Amino acid sequence: MAKSSLDKKFDKIREREESKSFSTKKRSRIVSKFVNNRLAVFGLIIFSIILLATIFAPLLSPYDPMRVDLRSMRQSPSLDHWFGTDNTGRDVFTRVLFGGRVSIFIGLGSAILSALVGIAIGCYAGYKGGWIDLIALRVSEIFMSFPQIILVLLLVSITGQSLFNLMAIFILTGWGGMYRLARARMLSLREEEYVQALRSFGLSTFTICYKHMLPNALSPIMVNITLSTAMFILTEAGLSFLGLGVPLNIPTWGNILNVAQDILVLQNYWWMWGPVGIVISVFVLCVNFIGDGLRDSTDPSQQG
Amino acid sequence: MITYIIQRLFIFFPMLLVISFLVYLGLELAPGDAVSHMISPELASTITAEQLNAMREAYGLNQSFLKRYWLWLISMIQGDMGYSMAGGVAISEIMAKTIPATLELSIVALIFSTIIGCSLGVISALKRGSGTDNSLTVAGMAGVSIPEFFFGLVAILLFAIELRWLPVGGRLLPHYETVWDRIPNIVLPSMVLALMMTAGAMRYARSSMLDVLAREFITTARSKGMPEWRINILHGFRVALTPVVVLIGFRLPLLIGGSTIIEQVYQWPGIGSMFIRSVRASDYPLVMTISLMYVFVVLTASLIIDVLTALIDPRVRLGKE
Amino acid sequence: MSDVNDIALSVRNLKTFFYTNNRCNKAVNGVSFDVKKGKTLCIVGESGCGKSVTAATIMQLLPTLSRIEEGEIIFQKDDKKINIEKLEKNGKEMRAIRGSDIAMIFQDPMTALNPVYTVGFQISENLKYHTTLNKKQIREKCISLLSDMGIPLPEQRIDEYPHSYSGGMRQRAMIAMAMACNPKILIADEPTTALDVTIQAQIFELMDKLKQENDTAIILITHDMGVVAELADNVAVMYMGNIVEAGTADDVLRRPTHPYTKALLESVPVLGRGKDQDINPIKGSTPDPYNRPVGCQFAPRCNWKTESCDVMPEIQQINETHQIRCHKYEQFFESYNE
Repeated sequence: MAKSSLDKKFDKIREREESKSFSTKKRSRIVSKFVNNRLAVFGLIIFSIILLATIFAPLLSPYDPMRVDLRSMRQSPSLDHWFGTDNTGRDVFTRVLFGGRVSIFIGLGSAILSALVGIAIGCYAGYKGGWIDLIALRVSEIFMSFPQIILVLLLVSITGQSLFNLMAIFILTGWGGMYRLARARMLSLREEEYVQALRSFGLSTFTICYKHMLPNALSPIMVNITLSTAMFILTEAGLSFLGLGVPLNIPTWGNILNVAQDILVLQNYWWMWGPVGIVISVFVLCVNFIGDGLRDSTDPSQQG
Repeated sequence: MITYIIQRLFIFFPMLLVISFLVYLGLELAPGDAVSHMISPELASTITAEQLNAMREAYGLNQSFLKRYWLWLISMIQGDMGYSMAGGVAISEIMAKTIPATLELSIVALIFSTIIGCSLGVISALKRGSGTDNSLTVAGMAGVSIPEFFFGLVAILLFAIELRWLPVGGRLLPHYETVWDRIPNIVLPSMVLALMMTAGAMRYARSSMLDVLAREFITTARSKGMPEWRINILHGFRVALTPVVVLIGFRLPLLIGGSTIIEQVYQWPGIGSMFIRSVRASDYPLVMTISLMYVFVVLTASLIIDVLTALIDPRVRLGKE
Repeated sequence: MSDVNDIALSVRNLKTFFYTNNRCNKAVNGVSFDVKKGKTLCIVGESGCGKSVTAATIMQLLPTLSRIEEGEIIFQKDDKKINIEKLEKNGKEMRAIRGSDIAMIFQDPMTALNPVYTVGFQISENLKYHTTLNKKQIREKCISLLSDMGIPLPEQRIDEYPHSYSGGMRQRAMIAMAMACNPKILIADEPTTALDVTIQAQIFELMDKLKQENDTAIILITHDMGVVAELADNVAVMYMGNIVEAGTADDVLRRPTHPYTKALLESVPVLGRGKDQDINPIKGSTPDPYNRPVGCQFAPRCNWKTESCDVMPEIQQINETHQIRCHKYEQFFESYNE
């Protein structure tokens, strides 16, 4: 019988084992698993590149993202303007960089803040139970009965558009997910022996809850934050594209895409909306790679 | 089984009631009221306070909040949903016209994404670790990373403008007669909508399948001498199905919400694009009523998913095990 | 006197290696034994010694990241000899053997049965694939199987799901499923570990009955010496992938010769001896399979270890039925001859 590729792989492993050429390095398992996940590392690198590019935007581009220059309208990409110019002569590349600042800030900021709110409530509610838990549970259920976009649009129509409003709305609609996660962890950890021990030592609820139990729930929380970031960035992009997100005077990735609603622009001026879309996709993809990598490396039930 | 359904209904109605109350509260808190929106700017400068008040009286707007809520609720149940600010068209009429369009789109997208997503997910699981698996996984992640409207725009550019295979948007043209005429129009929006759902379904199907394939009863089945295909499908996939159905059900709100943006991009005359229009116009009654309807759909969908789960998995029927 | 026609299955120098996490684990490292028709062979050993792997290898039910490295598994089908290790893992021939010639029952019947199909369906699958009975006949056979296994109201039970059976009944249902096509060999992998002791007795009684009525050869895998004393006709003691001692039940239990066997027997507390009895656990612990001792695997824990134990002992025959892997067996065995 011809040897399959699996067989050959086995033979190699067996040889290596029998010749005892094995290093037993004691590197942290989590770190080595992450590093071995090529997609996650790739994602981390590209993510960092884009992030740093947006942070150091003024250094990378001589143009002012807001400055209108009617003489250079609608120019296709060139050495002067890497992504060309838009309808009012602004350099698109610069706008993408500066827009990134806002979009990433909104995405990451909302994810972290909604996580903080959700964890704070979830830990306490999960551990203590009682009416706080009951109320929080019902409230989060109500929020979850709305499709997210609908809820966001609804709130935007009531409060009006602004950067701050948008983030507040995101946090309001997003805390529920983290709340449930934290609560579920708390519920399962609550019955563990070490918690009983801590209680018998007379430690306050606050200390037990936040100082001792929380670190055990950290990994799914981290994974959730990365995935929430991805979601919020996409949601902001969608809203701003429709003109219902961040006000149009502040550049964000979604706002830049707003011009693509015009079919003329769609067809003839691809540089005004194409590169932005690709940047968003790539960035979110990297965030997803990182989140997936985090999940795989911290999940104890995964096998080699 | 029946008791199970009744139990679920006990949660369903109160939830709906609470949300309808919140919605009406939101309507109340929103700037302006029915009357102030009915007056055009020119008239607003000349109308007197007494006239405004008289109008309010006529429309019953001076009654207490709770009374108005009650009346509104009653008329809602009877099918009268009030009137839209813009143009004064009956909301129920608007719904009747737009909901079928959205349903068409959503159902086609749901069917496609479930079938394709599950199949790809199962294939991915069966060929774990291979090139196929890896590429499908990455493709799936790309699917959830690309903003759907961006993908929609690119699709329009490619298929409608450059290749001219499909129309740019819209749902019906005057000369359409049969169902077949309408198909070209539904292709792009439903495929784009399906994209995100497919990626999700694929990931769930894959992980559920991998989970099930590692279970003991799969080895038992193999020890009986069953062929691999039978083990994978009848034993593997059948058990993997339950969590997948539940998870797809959880994603339904996304499908419903996602259709809003796609409808806008493709000028599809559904409830989604109507919602966006009403938000832009600050047409509060319409905004609120459509939101309430969305909630109704999501809650109903959860109910249906729960019932389906009970049907598929006998353990659920007889009480949690 | 082992007549060749008595033997249902013959395993010769079997080696099964696992390749997970890029390491090579020699789970079964040279195992040989015979399974006689109508007799029970008990394979005993601590967790991790390779007994379950041996069973899985016989049925070719190994996971993807493993393979049969060397050795032969010779199955005596009627008057033909079939080399199982040469068959394709899930090929037609192997599948024809599984279920109808060799069948297996597992440790935990709750997880070993599919929760979404009725018990009747799962038993009938076996019959559907290995016999030519029609639907009605299959159903009747299922009912009679369930009743043979001592399950009351079989006509009703046949359409119920595994989770509405009790633990003991589930295991009986599994045995019914395994015996459906009257296999020549039944492999039972710790079948009662998950059950109460009283149910355990019933299950073993059942297995004994089947053995006698159908002339089935049984391979019983267990870590419980008490079970061995009750049921075994022949015994094989395994440690870290090798059989260290094998023979008839009489040989091994009355005249244990290998230090490990002796230690195992001495470490079992005896019901009724009272709380002051000496409990003698075996000193040390099983070595890391990736970091094995050189030579005899038991040497680090053995009270009689010498330099010669740095070389793996060969299998030696004490007498016709009794085999051993130990350099010093003669001096241990002498005491029995006095």
